[in-house]
Amino acid sequence: MIHFDNVTKSYKTQNRPALQHVNVAIEKGEFLFLVGPSGSGKSTFLRLILKEERPSQGHVHVAGKDLSRISNWKVPHLRRRIGCVFQDFRLLPNKNVFENVAFALEVIGKPRRFIHKVVPEVIDLVGLEGKGNRMPDELSGGEQQRVAIARAFVNRPMILLADEPTGNIDPATSIGIMKVLDRINRTGTTVVMATHDAAIVDAFRKRVVELEDGRVVRDQSRGVYGQAY
Amino acid sequence: MRVQFVLQEIWIGLRRNLTMTVSLIITVAIAMALVGTGLLIRGQVNASKSYWYDKIEVSVFLCAKSSSNPSCNKQEATQADKDALKKQLGGMSQVAAVTYETKDQAYARFKDRFSSSPAFVNSVRSGDIPDSFRIRLKDPQQYKPVVQALLGQKGVDQVINEQEILKKFFNILNGLQNAAWIVAVFQLAAAVLLVGNTVRLSAFNRRRETGIMRLVGASNTYIQMPFILEGAVAGLIGGLVAAVLLVMSKSLLIDKLAGDLQFASQLGWGTVLAVIVLSVCFGVLLCAIASFLTLRRYLRV
Repeated sequence: MIHFDNVTKSYKTQNRPALQHVNVAIEKGEFLFLVGPSGSGKSTFLRLILKEERPSQGHVHVAGKDLSRISNWKVPHLRRRIGCVFQDFRLLPNKNVFENVAFALEVIGKPRRFIHKVVPEVIDLVGLEGKGNRMPDELSGGEQQRVAIARAFVNRPMILLADEPTGNIDPATSIGIMKVLDRINRTGTTVVMATHDAAIVDAFRKRVVELEDGRVVRDQSRGVYGQAY
Repeated sequence: MRVQFVLQEIWIGLRRNLTMTVSLIITVAIAMALVGTGLLIRGQVNASKSYWYDKIEVSVFLCAKSSSNPSCNKQEATQADKDALKKQLGGMSQVAAVTYETKDQAYARFKDRFSSSPAFVNSVRSGDIPDSFRIRLKDPQQYKPVVQALLGQKGVDQVINEQEILKKFFNILNGLQNAAWIVAVFQLAAAVLLVGNTVRLSAFNRRRETGIMRLVGASNTYIQMPFILEGAVAGLIGGLVAAVLLVMSKSLLIDKLAGDLQFASQLGWGTVLAVIVLSVCFGVLLCAIASFLTLRRYLRV
């Protein structure tokens, strides 16, 4: 599903590359934790998958396609098949829960009838039954992140990228968020989650890829957060 | 869905920078009105030129007792002078037709032309206006040799070339047209810059939305369309205001000028309508293109 083929990414303003010679293969339906300290290249890794950045060397393949061969005007179609969740939720404060989720479908031109059928289903899936017309500022952090996950998943992407989704949420609530991500993973969606949260990684026992200074220092199935070698 | 969504986005965008939008509309309106006025004046000049060039005449006024020209010697032109002149004119290759206008005919024409100001008519008596030869030229531009030949002939008081008078008049109109266009150019430049600023503000205001649109894979056109249409809508409203201004300038400026200066040909409302359509389209296009170019700088897609 996602292949990093000897990928190096350097930014003009920094001497040290953000990623160096990274080789990672993620299969369809996998759940992968991307761990490592701040600045180790986790976000760059995710941005490369979205073609927000392009590698300085090497190739990134997503769903069998070499991203360097996808023309710019086709990038939106790539992103429609990838959902994204962030630490800061990125909800629209002037839209309610339903509208926030529906927005993702409206802007890719889905018909209204389809939206009214699909959005409530996804809101239920993330555990926000009956909260469709709440505004984001009336929700707790955990609930807001559920809305963000619903928005990322509503178009049924092949891949869900989550960048520190529990970073702003207390540990008890985080478990709930992880259950939602797990539920999404069980529908066959590949999930890549960058995180600092050792407790979560240890509890879930999924595949772990650890980055340090832009290099992969560990790639372990059913791994834990750290010091487990 | 799409249409409604886009319209909603445009409305939100325009309302959020209301002051910018209003100033943009005013600027576009003035610019378009000036461009339109320039076009109208040009239309008027062209229409009157073709009308007048058909009728243009060289008038040879003959000596009368009241003539101030010393060569007339306070004497009326004799019949012999007139015959000689007529013969000379008949032999000139540039001349298409010659008519002789008697004093009575001249007075009747004068009364007719100035019938709206009776006091002026009453101050002139029959016989005050000299008799004349009216010469129609084959090519109105070729008046010089004819005028040269006639000046100083016995019995000739004055030679008046109507084209000279018209030229002055057209020069005034051309000057007006150029002035309108010069101001319009500045206004257009201001409008383009304002569109740029409005779009930039708009893009900044909606960076959350556009960011999310990018993430969920909205196409570039879809992301940019509301901004471009925002510019276009402002341009359209400006153009409509300009249309009102143009109708006013037609009825207050051109028609008034036409009344005062006795234009033979009136500009029809058809021409005004064409000018309005042209300037509205121009305004909309200008704003849309300016937004598009600004977007490329401020909205990374």
